Amino acid sequence: MAEFWNAYTETLPREKLQNIEFSYFKNLFSFAKSNSALCKDKFKGIDAGDIKTFEDIKKVPFTYKEELRKWQENVEPFPYGGLLGVDIEKVSTFRQTSGTTGRPVYVPETYESWQWRIESWCHILYMAGFRPKHRVFLPFGYNVYVAFWEAHYAAEKVGCEVIPGGALSTEGRVNKIIELKANAMCGTPTYLLNIAQEATSMGIDPKSLGIERALGAGEPLPEATRKRIEATYGCKMFDHIGSTETCGFACTCEAQQGLHIVEPFFLVELLDRETLSKEVAEGELGVIVITPLGRRSFPVIRFNTNDVAVKGPSTCECGRTSLKLMEIVGRVDDITKIRGVLFSPKTVEQLIRAEFPEIVEYELVVTREDIMDKVTLRMEADAKLGKDEVAEIAKRLAERHKIKTNLSCKVTIEPPGTLPRYDLKAKRFKDMRGKH
Amino acid sequence: MDEIRKEIENIEKSAEKLKSLAADNNAIKKNAEILLTFIYILKFITPAAE
Repeated sequence: MAEFWNAYTETLPREKLQNIEFSYFKNLFSFAKSNSALCKDKFKGIDAGDIKTFEDIKKVPFTYKEELRKWQENVEPFPYGGLLGVDIEKVSTFRQTSGTTGRPVYVPETYESWQWRIESWCHILYMAGFRPKHRVFLPFGYNVYVAFWEAHYAAEKVGCEVIPGGALSTEGRVNKIIELKANAMCGTPTYLLNIAQEATSMGIDPKSLGIERALGAGEPLPEATRKRIEATYGCKMFDHIGSTETCGFACTCEAQQGLHIVEPFFLVELLDRETLSKEVAEGELGVIVITPLGRRSFPVIRFNTNDVAVKGPSTCECGRTSLKLMEIVGRVDDITKIRGVLFSPKTVEQLIRAEFPEIVEYELVVTREDIMDKVTLRMEADAKLGKDEVAEIAKRLAERHKIKTNLSCKVTIEPPGTLPRYDLKAKRFKDMRGKH
Repeated sequence: MDEIRKEIENIEKSAEKLKSLAADNNAIKKNAEILLTFIYILKFITPAAE
């Protein structure tokens, strides 16, 4: 049995958790309808009293990101518009989304909603084994984005010591980790690998940094990437999922068999991709629809995240009873057809991390020439390798890509240091079809 | 858990009282409000399961 952050809620039987979430959903729905202009307008035909059973929740329409944007454009009060659920004078912190898919959404947090998010994040950190003995290094540029502010405050609350690693170069961060003997870290998987690469180029074995625990965010963490980070640092690597709109809502435990949803903070539905009306069965792919159940500053009801995950069981050797997501497959938008073949960029990430440790960075570009889709895999190899070795890797990569994806691709070799590096969300898949 | 919930309610009553007693003292009022924020969290993480 694992240690729990909240032994009461984390081990409640499913039926009881569902009852609590149903009750929380109704409360939030009622609150949102009275206090948020968006919800007042959107749900005008439905009253909380109409939601009589857990199944009735499915009658409530989804909230989409595009609506959040629309309700902020030229809508008072500035800058939150119709999304605000409280008096604007109660807002204590501004956050915004990264704007990867369009205009950023501005997110208001009150002292209460922020503390609620942090409490939820304490579950995440505790599940990932962060304890008061850990000195946690947070290598990110503290700014308007939410990543990893929650980790910072939650780590403090859990009892860890936090080292804010902002405004430093990657080399500076390696030096700070060594100087202060940090033994835990949070970061995007990509950036954790970049730090390790930087350490290696400084003549430092990443294992000697002494990192015991790492928590990833912002990108999917394929099994191969997790194992590579664990092997590189000699640490245990955990995954979590969340966003600015929804908060961090699920994390892997020591068993490393899926991500536990932090219940009853969140009602997470996994719905079939075709009709978005039915909960998928265990082992099936579903779109994640999420309602943060206690955040009143920015009430979001049934937010369609556009993320796709495999539904897991609600049993785990750690003893938690929360529902699990077995695998985050990626964005609905990223799962696409190329030459009629269903393709997920995560397959390529998994292939490269598992079989090509010599590749330090890559980018996948899909273009259309006449009526034919073309896939180009741009790779950057370890600078220490010779020309012939790199050419051999490129040849092998093209073969393995064909086997893994059923798609042939052109592999190009890029000079060291030319492909973009990412501190936050990596954007390695570029679908350029229809853009010219 | 019932005893814990009862205690949370007691603290809530005290914090509300503190807030009203300190209506003209910003520092005490704000700290009482912060207590109430954590009461909200405490109630959220100790729901009655029936």
